[in-house]
This record gives sequence, C-alpha cells and structure tokens, in this order.
Amino acid sequence: VDSKQGCKIDLVFSTQSYNQEEGEKHLGNCSAHVFFKNEKPRPAINITCTRSIEKKKRQEDDYLLYKQLKQLKNPLKAANIPDSHGHIDPSLRPIWDLAFLGSSYVMWEKTTPFLHYNLVRLTSVKQWKTNDTIDFDYTVLLHELPTQEIIPCRIRLVWYPGKPLKVKYQCQELQTLEESSGTVEGSAESTELSNI
Amino acid sequence: MPGREESSGSSSAGRSMQGTPRQGLGPRLPHMGKWTLLFCGCILAAAWGQMNFTGDQVLRILAKDEKQLSFLRDLEILKPQKVDFWRGPARPSLPVDMRIPFAELDDIKGYLESHGLAYTVMIKNVQVLLDAEREAMAKARRLERSASSFSYSSYHTLEEIYSWIDNFVTEHSDIVSKIHIGNSFENRSILILKFSTGGSNRPAIWIDTGIHSREWITHATGIWTARKIVSAYGKDSILTDILNTMDIFIDLVTNPDGFAFTHSMNRLWRKNKSSRPGTSCTGVDLNRNWKSGFGGNGSNSNPCSETYHGPSPQSEPEVAAIVDFITGHGNFKALISIHSYSQMLMYPYGHSMEPVSSQKELYRLAKKAVKALYKVHGINYIFGSISNTLYVASGVTVDWAYDSGIKYAFTFELRDTGRYGFLLPATQIIPTAQETWMAIRTIMQHTLNHPY
Repeated sequence: VDSKQGCKIDLVFSTQSYNQEEGEKHLGNCSAHVFFKNEKPRPAINITCTRSIEKKKRQEDDYLLYKQLKQLKNPLKAANIPDSHGHIDPSLRPIWDLAFLGSSYVMWEKTTPFLHYNLVRLTSVKQWKTNDTIDFDYTVLLHELPTQEIIPCRIRLVWYPGKPLKVKYQCQELQTLEESSGTVEGSAESTELSNI
Repeated sequence: MPGREESSGSSSAGRSMQGTPRQGLGPRLPHMGKWTLLFCGCILAAAWGQMNFTGDQVLRILAKDEKQLSFLRDLEILKPQKVDFWRGPARPSLPVDMRIPFAELDDIKGYLESHGLAYTVMIKNVQVLLDAEREAMAKARRLERSASSFSYSSYHTLEEIYSWIDNFVTEHSDIVSKIHIGNSFENRSILILKFSTGGSNRPAIWIDTGIHSREWITHATGIWTARKIVSAYGKDSILTDILNTMDIFIDLVTNPDGFAFTHSMNRLWRKNKSSRPGTSCTGVDLNRNWKSGFGGNGSNSNPCSETYHGPSPQSEPEVAAIVDFITGHGNFKALISIHSYSQMLMYPYGHSMEPVSSQKELYRLAKKAVKALYKVHGINYIFGSISNTLYVASGVTVDWAYDSGIKYAFTFELRDTGRYGFLLPATQIIPTAQETWMAIRTIMQHTLNHPY
C-alpha cells in the first residue's frame, strides 16, 4: 500500500454459479488488480477470468431471461425481495438477479478502501413497459460496513442482451444528508472492466 | 431518524387476507337448517362486528354459448349488487363463479333453471369457510402448545419465543430453569436459561444471541442450541462431561425491544430502543456499550448512528442486566456472544490491535473450533482477533468479558457472507445451528479441560 498514490490490491479468486439452485458449480478462476487512487471510491479494476460457460450458452441464458421478463403480462410491480424470512418467490428470482447486477455497479462506485457494501433487500420494483429493452426502477437497501448503516438507493436499470447495461442511481446518505449519484454503463459480458 | 423506518408488515404481495372470500372448492360441510345457520351467523357477526356471509352460496355456471353468457350478464343488471361475481362472464367454456346472498338464493336459482343454465354449488355456506379460515389463522398465531411442536426451522416472534421458553423449561425442568435478570428500556423481561445438573455456583459458560436485533439467525440458532444441549445430555459424552461439571447460561433475546421492532416496523433495526432528550433518534448499539475501551474508534457518539455507544458504559439496561448477573455470579469461565453475518469466529480485542496475553491459546482454540464447524457442512469461517479480522470496534462485549477475567471470550458472526446477509433464508437455520454447535462445543470442551 503506497498511501501517497493510493491503495493497490491484487486478488485471485474462483467463481461459482450465482444461482444456488444449480448447486455450487465451480465456474472459473479470476485474477484482478484493484487500485484505489487516493482513497477515493470507484476503484480501477483490471480483471481477467477463465470461463467455463461458453459464450453461446451465456447468450442463450441472457436471451431466456430477456424473454421471461418480456412475457410478463403487466409491467411488474413488487416489493420486499427477499421477505423478512429470507424467502424469494421463484418467479421473482430473475428480478432479484437483475437488481443484484445493477446494485453491484452502484456498490462498486461507492466502495473505498474503508467502506464496502452488501445488498440487503429490494424494497420496490417497478417495470417500465418498452418495445425492446428491459427497463426497471428499483429501490434497494445497501448495508454499509463498517458503519453498519443501511443506505437506501434508487436505481434505474436498462438492459438488452448483448448490449452494455445502463445504470442510473441516487443514494441517500442519512448521516450527512449527502447524496451520491451517478451513471454507469457496463457490459455484463466483457472480461475486462475498465475505469469508466 | 425520519425516513429511515420502513414498514415491513405485509411483505408478500397478494396473500389472502382475513374476511376476503376465497375461490375454490371448500371442504364438505355438514347439513344444517337454513334458519339455524342464519341465527348462529347473526350472533357471530354481531359479536365480531364483521360482514355476514351466513348461508351465502357460491355457484359455478358453465355457459354453453354466448346467449347463455348474456343471460348471466343480464343478471347483474336485474339484480344489481345482489350477485357478486368471483369469476365474471368472459366467454363460453370458461366457468362463471358467483356468490349469491342467502336471501336471493331461491330467486337466482329459479332464474338460472328457467334459462337452462346448469350450475353446481361450489360453496354451500361461505361464512362457515370464513370462520374456519379465521380459526386456522388464529391457531397458527396462537402460541405453540409444546416445545416439541415448535418449528425450529422457522423464525419466530418475541411472544412465540417467550412461550417456547416456558414450555421448554417445563418439559426439561430437571436440567433447565428460567431466570429473569432485568428489564429492557421498554420494560420487557430479559430472560435467560440456566442449564445445570446440580452443584452450587459451578464454573459457568455464557452464551448470548440477538444483541443486534436484525440478526435473526442468532436467536434461531440459540433456540436450537438450547434444545441440542438437553437432547445431547446423556448421549454425547463431551457435552455430558461439560454439564456434569459446569453450568451453561443462554440469553436468547438479549435485545427484546429491538427484536419486537424488527417484527413490527423495521426488519433492519440493530440497536435497542432507548430514547434521550435532545434528539429524535433512538437506540444504542448494545455491542458498543460495554466498559472496555468505551467511546474509542469503531463506535460513534452520534445518537443517530448505528454504532452509537450510548451516554456512558453500561448505560443501557440490557447490558447492565448482564453485567450485574455475570459479576454477581463471579464464576464465569467462558463467554460466547453470537452475531451475524460474515462467517467469522473472533476473540478480543475489538478496541485495539494489540494482542491479548492469551492470544496464542485463543488463536489455536479458534482454529480448532472453526475446523469442527467446517466438517459439518463445508462452510468456511475465518478467525482471529476482532480488530484484525473484522474491524476496530470499541466497547464490545468480549473485550469487557476478557478484561473481567473471562479468558475464553469469543464472538461469532454466523452465515452468510453477504448474499442474503441479515435476511438469511429460514431453510438455513438448522444447518447453521448444527455447524455452530460443533464450534461452541469445542470451546466449551476446552474450557472444561483447562480450568483456571
């Protein structure tokens, strides 16, 4: 750690399927270089992963999810996922997955060498009906460590398979009444996330 | 703080609610005279002040064609508000379900028959079904009759837990007793369980769960552990040896006010519910209120903060009650304080990076305990001192315990590592409790074999 320049961390980790119903399948290995410049949030990340899911299968899965969400008769409206007992209705699972993806961008943007986050709960979801894209408005609660605070954020997520994910967000810092907000465009597919 | 509280009362969308007519075939109903039913229904309705559906029936009609369908639509016009469509006329081949009030039955049935509309009686008496549903809901809410019919794989309310405690103590009165050690800020009882096979003031082990109210997996684990202790006595030689020499105390709901609040208003509430003049923010972080390194780094002097340490050490009744009890007892040898989440097993200090004098022994014991835990379900825990493993935190329980002479002072952070966090699915309660038990047992065994 060179505190004059910032904080450098090198990581090596393995990945597994996020969807636990598929079992704890080992998916691949990654190595990443994380750099916080001057303790500021949104570290630069250089990451390479070996994948054990083929690009074709990934595209198929993406398209399947896209179809599932498009097939919902009325634009989706839901609240409190998971519920107080940690339960997520299987039909709402894809919503949670997508929200988690959007939230992970927000959390990345807010992370500093001293603050990190976990997604606690999706407090509300509202889907916007569009012709092509999947468009959601979410409110989420993030758990901030080590302060233990619960941070509410509003996230707007626009997705189309194969295209970069668009995330707009606004978080409320209750203590200082500050707001952190931003726009992120990222690809769920790319193997390299560069500083945007 | 305004705006922070969320209502978590009705978390699932679309659940059927009390008093709403349901669709579907009801159970077979006994034959009762129309007028007897009406009479009973009126009494009940008066007693409950609710809407009365006594004698009402739900009929299912299959219209053969558009013409028949139109007869049904006409019914709505002819008998406005007398026909309550549960499934309205849409197209032929789709059943039409309608609730008919008792007084209209003869008329409506006559109408249907004269127009050649075939119908079946789906529900003979709506009120009976509603009563049955209400009874079932009340029964489910009603406190369990015995500790053995209590569901260990569900999360429970404060009332359910206190009721379970009474049942549990009654059913295992040879080993277990209940002690009231004080009251919370909002005057709820703080109850602890004592497990003892005799003796007088034997060396003791303390376990507390729920000091942070949103960490629901901890209370659930504590309850399961209590039952495990009684069932293992006489069967598990290690636990039997422990209980033949030592006593075990468990504080299941260390923060009852906070816990009640997680059920009623805010599932993510952490602190207790004490209030003070000068601020609308309530609550002190009970795990920053202990007299060891009080007020230092990793705690906050702002009452609105989640890690607010309180005005002074032990200012909170929930903490004072424990301090008084443990100090008064004078013979505690181990203390285990259980939290979630992060999957860690830690020992003091939290307030300083300096190693405690028993650091080497505690490190080795933690390592052993984590290994025993891993063997159960393959879950990985990391271990070390609090300040090195998690973060610097001042005024924590285990620092106070260690400084008070309780050498084997450990704190757990149970499952998971952030995927569900505080909202750990109930399906993970028993696996979590099973693996945690093996770690606790390891610590207790070491305490037994290393008297000091």
